[in-house]
Amino acid sequence: MRTENQGRGSPVSPDQELVLSSLELDQLAAVRKQPIPRRRLRGFEKVLLWSLRIYVLFMITVVIYQVLAGAR
Amino acid sequence: MERSGQEAPVSADPATKLTTDVVITHEDIDRAHDRERVFAARARHGIFSRLRLLWLLVGPGILVMLGENDGPSMLSYAATGSRFGIGFFIPFVVLTFFMALVVQEMTVRLGSATHRGHAELIFDRFGPFWGWFSMIDLGVGNFLTLITEFIAIRAGLGFFGVPPWAAILGALAVLYLALVTHRYWTWERITLAAAVFNLVFVPVALLAQPNWGSVGHAITTWMPLPGGLTKDTLLILLADIGATVTPWMLFFQQSATVDKGLTRGDVRFGRIDTALGAALAATAAVATILATAPLFAHHMTAENFQAAEFAQALQPLIGRFGASLFALGIVEAGMVACITISTSSAYAFGEVAHKPHSLNLPLKEGKPFYFVLFLCAVAAGAIVLIPGLPLVYVVLVVNVIAVLAMPPALVFLFMLANDREIMGDLVSPAWINVLAASVVIFLTLAGILFGISVVAPNAFAFITGK
Repeated sequence: MRTENQGRGSPVSPDQELVLSSLELDQLAAVRKQPIPRRRLRGFEKVLLWSLRIYVLFMITVVIYQVLAGAR
Repeated sequence: MERSGQEAPVSADPATKLTTDVVITHEDIDRAHDRERVFAARARHGIFSRLRLLWLLVGPGILVMLGENDGPSMLSYAATGSRFGIGFFIPFVVLTFFMALVVQEMTVRLGSATHRGHAELIFDRFGPFWGWFSMIDLGVGNFLTLITEFIAIRAGLGFFGVPPWAAILGALAVLYLALVTHRYWTWERITLAAAVFNLVFVPVALLAQPNWGSVGHAITTWMPLPGGLTKDTLLILLADIGATVTPWMLFFQQSATVDKGLTRGDVRFGRIDTALGAALAATAAVATILATAPLFAHHMTAENFQAAEFAQALQPLIGRFGASLFALGIVEAGMVACITISTSSAYAFGEVAHKPHSLNLPLKEGKPFYFVLFLCAVAAGAIVLIPGLPLVYVVLVVNVIAVLAMPPALVFLFMLANDREIMGDLVSPAWINVLAASVVIFLTLAGILFGISVVAPNAFAFITGK
């Protein structure tokens, strides 16, 4: 583990020790950059997400209607 | 490596497991300092150490709840009090905060278990379509809401004769001051100090000398509801729901929980933090209803009142001091929401665009994060200064977007909180699922009803028969 200004093989600094002892691995900014794997959806969940897509269309229609009605 | 809780089961790419190549950043070091203080407090025993631990761990929950008591929300509660007086809406508003608590508790567990923001989790677990949809939805909703916060700040300070440009510049200066140290901890404490000022509505309510017998009767019987269930009553009901549970809250609290560095061992305190926030916010909301209830008793029409108009209308009833407190309360509500909402947009942008996103980032490392944060605030503030802007119309569109955007956000929240792969043992237990599912269904129906009320306003009159 290195700090940003430290080359490979450098001795462990107090900051590194602090981070090592205080944070969980998954809390490190560098680790958090890695994406979490995609979820495998079951049948019901697929139906739910398609229902959401339809709802989003409804929602966009309502918002556009509201904006146009307000503009008039 | 960890001193509290178990290792999260989040399965990031195994190749990134701790190796000599993992770089620690300034953000990590700042967060580690914050965690050190938590460990030190946890190692001690006694009531004062417990209180210190609570002091160190509270923040996101109180901020999100008091942040949602924003300018438009307080005006919505004020309108409720002035139109319906002391009655049904007092217990109803408390119920909405209970619903908010149920929903927000899930974000505490998600943030503590995964150390990822809400936008990031949706993007990773459900794919780019829903990731970008959530981001754009949040971004547009937040931006329009920010405009309404600046409207509230402008109107509240207008009561004291402050010109609009000075009000907006002052608000931006406060936002800058909260961020200037580039430390999450400092930002959180400054914003908390400002947020607690939301309770200024309590002395205003006391000045209004409410009939406590009527308050007790309202809480125990949920009555009276003047005029019965009409189309207007339904709209006020939906507006009060929209004033308590909105999408930005989910994104903000989860991101803030991550930025604060809470872990699995801190979930209990995260829950206390959220419950404390809900209690404080409900107190301020009920106080606002009580403060404006005299307008109902005096049959004063306050349907379309803005901040300064409410304060002016209350002045003969509660005096200049009380009216000034009311106006200051509206300013504070707008200011705190301005800080939390612009931060929520910046967090979500960073999470979805894979840019560094933390209030611990030095300016050099966090340019995109701070740029988005300030851009949102400055643009919203500038729009409010445009002469002749239909501000009431903007507020209406904000409400429509906020309420309609809730169902997708809630569905993803519910699915994520039940996702054992990322939550491990913090997955929602059955009793929370029953509670959460009820709230999600209720809020989703409320969103759909609100949508129908916009497209077909007469449908409500048909349903209620009035």
